[in-house]
Amino acid sequence: MHDNDPQLRENSRRHFFSQCGVGLGAMALSSLLCDDASATPAANIQNPLAPRPTHFEPKAKNVIFLFMAGGPSQLEMFENKPKLTELSGQPIPDSFVEGKRFAFMDSSHRINLLGSKRTFQQYGENGTWVSDLLPWTAKIVDEISIVKTCKTELFNHAPAKLFMNTGSGQFGRPSMGSWVTYGIGSECADLPGFVVLQSGPRGPRGGSVLWGSGMLPSTYQGVPLRNQGDPILNLSTPESVSSQQQRHLVDAVGKLNLKRLVETGDDEIATRINAFEMAYQMQSSAPELMDISGESQETLDLYGIKDPGESTYARNCLLARRLVERGVRFIQLYDTNWDHHGGPTETLETHFPAKCKDIDQASSALVQDLKRLGMLDDTIVVWGGEFGRTPMGEVRQYTGRNHHIDAFTMWFAGGGFKAGQVYGETDEFGFGAVENPVHVHDIHATLLHQLGLDHEKLTYRFQGRDFRLTDVHGNVVTDLLA
Amino acid sequence: MKSIPFCLRSLLAFVCLASFSLQVRGEDSDPPLQFNADVLPILAENCFACHGFDEASREADLRLDTEAGSQDVIVVGDPSASSLIHRVETSDPDEIMPPPSSGKKLTDRQREILRQWVRQGAKYEGHWSFSKPVFRTPPTVEEVTHPIDRFVQSKLRDAGLQPSPLAAPETLIRRASLDLIGLPPSTKEVDDFLIAYAKDPDVAWQNLIDRLLSDPHYGERWGRWWLDQARYADSNGYSIDSPRSIWAYRDWVVDALNNDMPFDQFTIEQLAGDLLPEARLDQRIATGFHRNTQINQEGGIDKEQFRIDSVFDRVATTGTVWLGLTVGCAQCHDHKFDPIAQKEFYQLFAFFNNQDEPTIKVHDPALGDPPKDAPTTMVLSERQTPRKTSVYIKGDFTRPAEEVTPGTPAILHPLDQNSGSVNRLDLAKWITSPDNPLTARVIVNRIWQQYFGVGLVSTENDFGLLGARPTHPQLLDWLAIELERRDWSLKDLHRLITSSHTYRQSSHQRDDLDQVDADNRLLGRQVRLRLDAEVIRDVALTASGLMAAKFGGAPVYPPIPAGVMGQGQVKRAWNVSSGENRYRRGFYTFVFRGTPPPSLKVFDAPDGFSSCTRRGRSNTPLQSLTLMNDPAFFEFAETLADVIEQEGVAVAFRRCTARFPDSEELTVLRGLDSITAARVLISLDETITRE
Repeated sequence: MHDNDPQLRENSRRHFFSQCGVGLGAMALSSLLCDDASATPAANIQNPLAPRPTHFEPKAKNVIFLFMAGGPSQLEMFENKPKLTELSGQPIPDSFVEGKRFAFMDSSHRINLLGSKRTFQQYGENGTWVSDLLPWTAKIVDEISIVKTCKTELFNHAPAKLFMNTGSGQFGRPSMGSWVTYGIGSECADLPGFVVLQSGPRGPRGGSVLWGSGMLPSTYQGVPLRNQGDPILNLSTPESVSSQQQRHLVDAVGKLNLKRLVETGDDEIATRINAFEMAYQMQSSAPELMDISGESQETLDLYGIKDPGESTYARNCLLARRLVERGVRFIQLYDTNWDHHGGPTETLETHFPAKCKDIDQASSALVQDLKRLGMLDDTIVVWGGEFGRTPMGEVRQYTGRNHHIDAFTMWFAGGGFKAGQVYGETDEFGFGAVENPVHVHDIHATLLHQLGLDHEKLTYRFQGRDFRLTDVHGNVVTDLLA
Repeated sequence: MKSIPFCLRSLLAFVCLASFSLQVRGEDSDPPLQFNADVLPILAENCFACHGFDEASREADLRLDTEAGSQDVIVVGDPSASSLIHRVETSDPDEIMPPPSSGKKLTDRQREILRQWVRQGAKYEGHWSFSKPVFRTPPTVEEVTHPIDRFVQSKLRDAGLQPSPLAAPETLIRRASLDLIGLPPSTKEVDDFLIAYAKDPDVAWQNLIDRLLSDPHYGERWGRWWLDQARYADSNGYSIDSPRSIWAYRDWVVDALNNDMPFDQFTIEQLAGDLLPEARLDQRIATGFHRNTQINQEGGIDKEQFRIDSVFDRVATTGTVWLGLTVGCAQCHDHKFDPIAQKEFYQLFAFFNNQDEPTIKVHDPALGDPPKDAPTTMVLSERQTPRKTSVYIKGDFTRPAEEVTPGTPAILHPLDQNSGSVNRLDLAKWITSPDNPLTARVIVNRIWQQYFGVGLVSTENDFGLLGARPTHPQLLDWLAIELERRDWSLKDLHRLITSSHTYRQSSHQRDDLDQVDADNRLLGRQVRLRLDAEVIRDVALTASGLMAAKFGGAPVYPPIPAGVMGQGQVKRAWNVSSGENRYRRGFYTFVFRGTPPPSLKVFDAPDGFSSCTRRGRSNTPLQSLTLMNDPAFFEFAETLADVIEQEGVAVAFRRCTARFPDSEELTVLRGLDSITAARVLISLDETITRE
């Protein structure tokens, strides 16, 4: 007996109806057998991105992570340290740096303190300090939780970015967005569940592993929406192909795949039928997403978008809101070039203020826009980089600061985070935490918690071990939560 | 006898021993049972749910998973006096174990094994994979001769199941071609096979397998299997990710496999080829295996930190690839589950802590000076003065503690230390030693996994205590012993597996199997497997007729979508290859670790950051977009459309799937213009799946 034997085929057909019939139903099948060319199999079996139940009642549904790649200087933005200014130029006391390791240890490591040249003012109900470089962020201090005592473990860019994204400095671990879509799926049927947007002169250090799915199935990897050409690789139908031909292609593939599904009984074919249908939907939904010409002038002004066709951080912020509207679960924006060491193109005097101008208005606008649309309660907005900068200066031709991992600033808005608080306190120079340090693992645990996931239970078995975003660490920082 | 008082029973036993020595000797001459192979599966399946490790669900305070726990119910050497035996043999429904409510029932054969085990001393053993494979005669199954089938079908029958019938001959030739050389058969090859198969299926099959195993594409197909494990790629990784030249190592792997280099030698040359007496150029090239670690070229880094990271990788990879152990877990602390101490991790580390990492010209010095354009490759060489190795507290290289010398984990066979100081060559020989309980099992399991989607041990890289137990322990051991007996010939192992009915049966799902064995662990059928990323390209290339069958050399740059290379930190050039290099197998495509070619990555090709012992098989819309719209696949479709116009859509269908389309399929395809029909064929689930 061979597998083209009628008996075996009948057996497989029976199998198909008993095991795989869900959602395909007799209609699609009969349409296949009658060869009705207009029928599209609408299988909805085994979509790996289907929404899944959370561990407990979630506070938030979506995350937008505004990633300032390179490590923005907290001392020029949120940390007002008069003592640092007072002692500027003097060596930092040994007690601070003993036993510490820094990047560029062998060459340009400087030990003299560098006071900030920015002016700071207090804003909002709590009198939150914000520098003159962030006038728009200053307007939303009552909406956000500013954490001054973030702490990471790695002081080189790529490993530190990996650490912030995956909880590990090693390549090959799943990123937070992958964990989240793996854990709770996505509510969007025609776009990926985890989307990455980029601005700045080049890609972030570390590249695509930052949104990789590691050992999780690749279904959960982040999909970068590109700034030029197709927003998704291979999204456009080849030039010489008409839209009618493309529809015929998808229909015929669906039809023949369905027939094979009936013959073999393999559920994977149902998943593939779905995948082709979603791919076809994405061909129109992704360009529709990227086309912001329908947004009001008022909205464009809010974000500071001058040319809707130009790819900027501001446009990406607006796209992030549009993605959340469409049910996309995790959106990450990378803005690069935040590495201000003091070299000729990376000064605190000129280049750092320009970067702040790039992001200040739009970041603030995103929070305001989400709020006025009633989406902020469901959506967590995170702002920060892979680490911060040292209180000691690098005085080259101009001034700059080295990478710093002991204390740096991030802010969180919406999604059940407390509005209008400053959390954690650093010492007089802003070198280390004196109270309430918040480790990257804690940030991860807290974000997952707000999404209804227990970071100790969100695991994936690989190479004989259960992996977690938080490895064997992490505590939910309940003080940050409303 | 149960009712006879204890003292009298002892007396009787004594009398029996004295007067019926013949019979006693007869019992002794039963083949000694092996706890892990013979007894543990019975206890695990039927007893441990209520009498095992898990205290919360333990009944009657009795555990049978440890020797100490079972001594209350076993009288060593005396089955009839052991309540364990009584409880499994009684006919009293209130007493019988396992209880009827559990739905489990022992067979007569299983009861007899328990009896025999108690009689022979009720000995327990350590973890199964830490003791050497044990040879078992394959069980007798009526009308079944192939040893693999006898192991598999015996278990199927115990479960009341039958294997599936043979797959159709078109399916068979496509399956074997894809599995052995990673290419689909041509229509002529299918035709020839169908004729030969009609005459004598077994001869036709054997000839087919022989042809495929001697096809040099075999080395590419199985080379990729090995290169996944070797974490091979063509760039330095980390954030800078500049290109590197190490493809001579890749070609070495292909040649070694095509020549069927014995796997023990294959191992030794890669781990320590440079240390062999008068090492040849090719043996030095082989040490590229452990040069496939990343190199961090970022500014401001501490070089020693990343050198040590690469040594960590070498230790972990060696453990994963050959021992199937998560040795890397002991980098920061003693292993939580397996008996590997942190100190032992650093003893392994010491073997890999004493190398220079030169780049050499691929040129045999015996042939004079190398030409200026001689390609280079990366190798290992031993340093004259050894580095000191110490344990690093929590794996932190800034916190050295106790100093250690090279050594191997105590739980495994001893290292031959006769030569005094030991080096990588001794480690390599230790790994391939006939005393090593792991290597052969790990390798046959990983080859089995290629053929059936999942290994006999499903955790193909964890044979430790947390790993899965083998579904067919006796078969696994039999295969491992067979591999060593056949001088580690991988081609022999391929022949052995592919000649079984288990391999050749249909992959169609069956209700009766699904109800009992939904995951197909009993192998009542073959499986449909989505093809590997490179092979998906190769199938479309071959079907269209564009494939350039050129072997070896520097990696190539087929067309990729615009803008891909800008995604990394440093924008890398991708100058699209022209001529035949545009149409090479996916195996030869240049892989930047940081920005791997999208059409490979989207189908789960590994990126070379760490050893990959099993690829994912995801199923996503981005794959659909690739098949439909990627410029390379569209080019293949355009050429396949010419085939449709000249030879008809049925020929194109056969080029993609090896089988003839039926009338329904023809009707659908004939309703389309040729380019659309060609794109449909390239996108079919069946085209990208091995059935």
